[in-house]
Amino acid sequence: MPDQVLELRGLNKSFGALTATSNLSLTVMPGEIHALIGPNGAGKTTLIQQIYGALKPDSGQVFLNGRDLTGLSVPERVRAGIGRSFQISNVLMDFTVLENGMIAEAARRGQSFRFLRPAFSDSNLIKGASAILDRVGLLNRAHLPVGDLAHGDRRMLELALALAASPSLLLLDEPMAGAGPDEGQRMTEIIEALRGTVAILLIEHDMDAVFRLADRLTVLVEGSVIAAGTIAEISQNQAVKSAYLGDED
Amino acid sequence: MTGLFHFANLVRAGIRDNALLWMLIAGFALFPIFTHFADLPFWNDVAMRIMLLGMAAMGLNLVLGYGGMVSFGHAAFIGIGAYCVGISQFFGMTNGLFHMFLSIGVCGALGLVIGYLALRTTGIYFIMITLAFAQMLFFLFVSLEQFGGDDGMSIDRADFLVIDLYEPLRLYFLIWVALALVALGLMFIVRSRFGVTLRAIKSNESRVEAMGLVPLHFKITSYVISAVICGLAGTLFASWQEYVSPDIMHWTRSGEIMIIIILGGLGTLAGPLLGAIVFLLLEEFLPLALGAVAPAYAENWMILFGPLLIMVVLFGRGGLIGLLDKAGFARIGKRKMAVK
Repeated sequence: MPDQVLELRGLNKSFGALTATSNLSLTVMPGEIHALIGPNGAGKTTLIQQIYGALKPDSGQVFLNGRDLTGLSVPERVRAGIGRSFQISNVLMDFTVLENGMIAEAARRGQSFRFLRPAFSDSNLIKGASAILDRVGLLNRAHLPVGDLAHGDRRMLELALALAASPSLLLLDEPMAGAGPDEGQRMTEIIEALRGTVAILLIEHDMDAVFRLADRLTVLVEGSVIAAGTIAEISQNQAVKSAYLGDED
Repeated sequence: MTGLFHFANLVRAGIRDNALLWMLIAGFALFPIFTHFADLPFWNDVAMRIMLLGMAAMGLNLVLGYGGMVSFGHAAFIGIGAYCVGISQFFGMTNGLFHMFLSIGVCGALGLVIGYLALRTTGIYFIMITLAFAQMLFFLFVSLEQFGGDDGMSIDRADFLVIDLYEPLRLYFLIWVALALVALGLMFIVRSRFGVTLRAIKSNESRVEAMGLVPLHFKITSYVISAVICGLAGTLFASWQEYVSPDIMHWTRSGEIMIIIILGGLGTLAGPLLGAIVFLLLEEFLPLALGAVAPAYAENWMILFGPLLIMVVLFGRGGLIGLLDKAGFARIGKRKMAVK
């Protein structure tokens, strides 16, 4: 049993002449929050897409809990244990908060292909969905249509949906994007509370949040890892300072 | 009296989608009593046509309204269903149940193949590819000379064991039972886990994928179900019309059932049936009304029909059901949760 949750081996991806991912290897350990940082265009989202299965790498492999995911589709990878939130919040807009949770709960239980009993009055689904919503503090807004939710709450809901299937790896693509200071704070606390329960690969531009959350950091520039390590190690790294954090001297 | 009071309360609170559906279906069950006493047997015929097109529209609505897939070729399944009767009779198979099972099998298989191929595309390409399949089948039947080609073939009303469809109202109630069963089935399907997942796919396909589900499986399944329903409507249509020709699967009929759905209310249970009622009644009455006002122009009734449809769609946003909703007579838009 390998002890890393996620292992990337020599991923390469280019779009024409543009190299988005270059011989990239990376590991995420169980229960850790691993932040992926880098300037715009460094290939962070492209990398997430390859882990998630929405983009095929040109070469290289993706392992989740020792299982080779390369070649699997998005739904197959989700069932293998990958949860994801997107850069632009991605929830079911035409439904209420609780209904969102219930549809995810039905999917988690493998019951989505049932035709007879009404879904939205099923007490088991309500129970499961309520537990999902409770984790992100949305239970008191359960009956609101998602369209009426504030932006920050939508992000929370998305996180809840990503967590619904109890993934072993959570991919969070800029969960604080567009959030106000209070919302960002709340999101940080909720992600903080997840530490140890699920491995998280986090893309985030809000450096305060990164410094507070990340157990380890990987710095990506032009598709390559230029540094990896703890926050203390990274902040001493000269290459990172010049390439990303900027020379403050 | 209390019943009436209860009913008034119901109307004030807003009739729910499925309640409206069953009221309409109950209306069809009682309609022959009215035509009997009013001595208007012709209107039974109109009602049968409404029920048949309503049934087909309800079938299409599963993919169009609930699944968000704009299939522009569903008349093909109506046609195949009708030809299942014609061709069976040509070879001496007169049993109506056989026709139905044949139609379910053929339309299901055809729906699977067309759905599997067409659902790889979306948007305008999906519309075009479904239309292309339907046109292909249309011209196939035009070219099949032994089955009447362009001229079609005449059909005897199917043989339903002890039921003689030539007796008055037997066909009417056969169609009614089929309609009620289709309505019942759809009511279960759209509220089920499958149904809400299908609606979720319409709302946001990538989120459903992120739940570990394969949207294509749900889309194809709904496509097959809707093809089978349209096929069933087609087999009964054949007995009603006692005749089948490629005209039944002309692309304008695909458009007609689409308009019926949009007129009634996309993605609602009662919408397609309500749409069929209003659409076909307008088709009956507009020429008469125009004829009374301006006899010379009676045959140009479409010039009123078009703007009427446009107005309902523009101001209804959600068709007639949307209008009822706005006026406070129905509450379909705001889905109240059945949760404490």
